[in-house]
Amino acid sequence: MQVYKAFFKVIKKNLFQISIYIIIFLFFAVLLTNANTNPTSANFSESKINVAIINQDSDSKLINGLKSFLGRNANFIEVPNDTQKLQDALFFRQVEYIVKVPNGFTDGLLNGKAVQLEKTILPGSTSGIFIDSIINKYLDTAEMYAQNMNSLSEEQIVNYVNTDLAQKTEVQLNNSITNTSINSKVNLYFNFMSYSLFAILILGVCSVMVVFNNSDLKKRNLSSPLKLGSYNFQMILGNISYAVLAWFIMIIASFIMYQGYMFTAKGLLFLLNSFILTLAALSISYLLGNVLKSNGAMSAAANVFALGTSFISGVFVPQIFLGKNVLTIASFTPAYWYVKSNNLIADLVNYNSENLVPIFSNMLIVIGFAVAVFAVTLVVIKQRRLSY
Amino acid sequence: MFSHIYYYRMKCILRDKQMIFWTLLFPIILATLFNMAFSNLSSLENFERIKIGIVNNVEYKMNTDFIKALESVSNSDKSAGKDSLFEINYSTKEDADKLLSDNKIAGYIYFDQGIKLAVKESGLNQTIIKGFLDDFKQTSSTIVTIIHQNPAAVQNGLLDSVSNRTDYMKEVAASQSAPDTTVNYFYALIAMACLYGSFWGLKEVVAIQANLSPQGARVSIAPTHKLKVFLTSVLAATTVQLFEILVLLAYLILILKIDFGNQLGLIALTCVVGTITGVTFGTCVASISRQGEGAKVGILFSLTMIMSFMSGMMFDKMKYIINSNVPILGYLNPANLITDSFYALYFYSNHYQYYKDISILGIFIIGFSLITYLVLRRQKYASL
Repeated sequence: MQVYKAFFKVIKKNLFQISIYIIIFLFFAVLLTNANTNPTSANFSESKINVAIINQDSDSKLINGLKSFLGRNANFIEVPNDTQKLQDALFFRQVEYIVKVPNGFTDGLLNGKAVQLEKTILPGSTSGIFIDSIINKYLDTAEMYAQNMNSLSEEQIVNYVNTDLAQKTEVQLNNSITNTSINSKVNLYFNFMSYSLFAILILGVCSVMVVFNNSDLKKRNLSSPLKLGSYNFQMILGNISYAVLAWFIMIIASFIMYQGYMFTAKGLLFLLNSFILTLAALSISYLLGNVLKSNGAMSAAANVFALGTSFISGVFVPQIFLGKNVLTIASFTPAYWYVKSNNLIADLVNYNSENLVPIFSNMLIVIGFAVAVFAVTLVVIKQRRLSY
Repeated sequence: MFSHIYYYRMKCILRDKQMIFWTLLFPIILATLFNMAFSNLSSLENFERIKIGIVNNVEYKMNTDFIKALESVSNSDKSAGKDSLFEINYSTKEDADKLLSDNKIAGYIYFDQGIKLAVKESGLNQTIIKGFLDDFKQTSSTIVTIIHQNPAAVQNGLLDSVSNRTDYMKEVAASQSAPDTTVNYFYALIAMACLYGSFWGLKEVVAIQANLSPQGARVSIAPTHKLKVFLTSVLAATTVQLFEILVLLAYLILILKIDFGNQLGLIALTCVVGTITGVTFGTCVASISRQGEGAKVGILFSLTMIMSFMSGMMFDKMKYIINSNVPILGYLNPANLITDSFYALYFYSNHYQYYKDISILGIFIIGFSLITYLVLRRQKYASL
């Protein structure tokens, strides 16, 4: 098994470059488990928007009442009253809504003058409309009392308003999906794996193929007494064992983090799907390895291919957020079909043929990619051999 | 002599195809990918009418006040545009359930001894529907209270004040530009491309040091002043890099239509300063480190990546997190300074922050150049 051993010797020499991608992947995987996702509870919980309030009016009861009413649907974020700091906070979505209460607002409102609050929002956003309606609701109610009932003190108005606004509607939550948060975590984990898998396989396989395809070395190898069949067999074995090894290293973290989940039907489907992608990635790497001639071209190809397919097929940005044209282009890469079936697996509730057939047909498409690219590679190799 | 060195260094640089790929093509490819992936993102925050269902049973039809209130916020008439919150689907309860489970509606309203809402998950749209229903209940409660306390209010136009709602909010725009987070990815990308200029700086240092390349050995025995050779070759490197950055900028502005604001002169200045920072950063790192060329490339590459990450190239909020918690780290990071300059031009209304960023970059350039000079000067090689 001389050739097989030489295969892994070359891999060893490039281990540093390859391990960078493994480390990035593990870093990301750990980051995911620690990311605080909203726990899905059995009760309906109202959404909260990050709001900054800058009060230039006195600390009146009305303003405080407004704040506590708004607090049901807002997380108050402290931002210094400095134009640039406020702009930064809005631009990077630290807050989505900034309210400025001008001086004399409370008095103006209670005495029926036309007063306004200043808001700075993300133009046209849902969160803007939502918080608008809440603030307007509170102030409208207060104004109605001030106008229609004479001689009420500010405190009485606030009390009336609070009583009214305590009215709530009953919400029934028809929730059939459980474990949403772990599903989406595993989904992200396996989606991201596509990026790392491509980078690692392209780098590894290409670095070996570039060495073995060096024409002097190739001639030397061809003139050795080793049978060509045995040589090819060892090469293929080397490629496959490298790919399986890489796949295995990448899935280990999922067993550590998600434990029992990985042995459920869903977990096994994720594993099967990722293994099939490994085959397609291997076949693409093998093609690139036979086309590219230098280490420089190899790292360029690995980066562009891994990043490119990941960006357009929904690894970094979920597929639902991508444009239609982008997805059409992406459907020419196996990563698209892989991510698509990952998303389907994550949403799977009923294991019937209606839901499972799309997943398996996506897997078949990925296998199709693997076979087609491999066939092209064989043609390339054949032509290369004839041109010596 | 100057033009001779300049011309031949330029030739050397332009024939380095691999580096041309990384410094010119790679940023352009990455920008294209960013554009494909992010072009839909900013529209996600925009409000779209929420699809809801209503179970039109007998109790619903009896409740004319509610029907009126609902009509006022679901008018599909464009003239009422602003008030239109909902797109309504009337059906039976079974159908509404089905629509809900297929994600066709965000939730449905039904009457069963009072108004009730059914949803599948907690979310902003669901909260807005609930908010509307709460509002209806709360307003009814207000009217009841007022009439109870002051029956005369009905004659004084109480019901009018219910339907004529005041908008208390006056919108003050944050900036002359839209708060579109995705532009920051492209600004950070230019910063990365500027810092990739460090590879050219590295190339020039390697080409002049006798222990690192045969050219260096040959140049060392030439009678030309080393500083002159070095300055000229760095100038050639800067020329090429600046040209590449301008190509990238033109690609972003003209083809991908990324919004940079309209201060073209200052944008170009940022590119020039960023480019020089990148090249001198390369000469500095290359002259300090004692490793071979491969390792030096590795160091530059990882430093550039870390700095780009901290200026928000992979995750936009990173820049904000660092700038608001450890601002000093932001000022020590040339990539962040370049990104921040573009951002300041795009989003801020004054130039204070911009000039601050550019001045600090200037200090970086002087520092990098000085270190390079002090390390490279008067290097002598022992006779063998």
